[in-house]
Amino acid sequence: MSVRLIEVRERVMARNDELAAEVRRTLGAHGITAFNLVSSPGAGKTMLLERTLEELGEALDIAVVTGDVQTQNDAERLARHTSRVVSAVVTGGACHLDALQVTTALDAIDLGRTRLLFIENVGNLVCPAGWDLGEDEKVVLFSVTEGEDKPLKYPKMFQNAKHVVLTKTDLLPHLSFDVDLAVRNARRVNPTLQFFRLSATTGEGLEQWYDFLRHAVRPVAVA
Amino acid sequence: MHEMSVAMEIGRIAEMKLGRSSAQLTAVAVDVGEDAGIEPWSLEFCLEAVFATPPFRGAKPQILRCRGDVLQVAWLEVDDERPAD
Repeated sequence: MSVRLIEVRERVMARNDELAAEVRRTLGAHGITAFNLVSSPGAGKTMLLERTLEELGEALDIAVVTGDVQTQNDAERLARHTSRVVSAVVTGGACHLDALQVTTALDAIDLGRTRLLFIENVGNLVCPAGWDLGEDEKVVLFSVTEGEDKPLKYPKMFQNAKHVVLTKTDLLPHLSFDVDLAVRNARRVNPTLQFFRLSATTGEGLEQWYDFLRHAVRPVAVA
Repeated sequence: MHEMSVAMEIGRIAEMKLGRSSAQLTAVAVDVGEDAGIEPWSLEFCLEAVFATPPFRGAKPQILRCRGDVLQVAWLEVDDERPAD
């Protein structure tokens, strides 16, 4: 027998990153802005998207891709708030979406009449941090029912994001959650993070979120 | 939690590198950085499962710890069943 070594030096994420770059090119060619929404389970991604679709779904031509380990419940919830197809990915056990799943999910979406794409990732603050999906940026939702130290416990997710949305702020009077401490913790791991504070239940703070989205979409080309 | 996805991708990379060669894969080394977001023991466990499944026949995973967020297949060890020179 003869044993030999084959030098490889190939990045494990290389294929995903190539597919993500392809998604980014496709979205760019259609002038679509894409946000990858990430959070722990139950932070309010679907609820925020429901309100957002109601308010801006038509005006900003919003399309959505959802990812869940099992069920299409989120896609069904969102479909009640838009006339558009909500493309659901059931990961069947995987704890994150990958760029191949997004590529496939985009087949169901009319990119020609989309200006803003939300990718609602699997609820998980660990794994989705490592997978580029071709988005413009990751947005982390951080609910005030969680601990203020979440950014310290899951730094990679907060390092990879530009915006943090503090959700469920209507519950603050009932909690001991310290908003300033949470913001400080997040900025310790990523000093440039920008914050929204909102409640999708009462509507408090939603206007700033909507304004951000209005500015994030590329203007419609005038014929 | 995502170590299984990573292990499966490593299996795919190994398959690509081996191509149509009849050589048997005997070991796989993976560089795993401290900030790669990967649990080495979990990845090793998942790699054992992947390489116990055809077309593989039980290649041994080897995790090489390093600094930074590196996550790459370092090398493959194959036995091409030719007599040694």
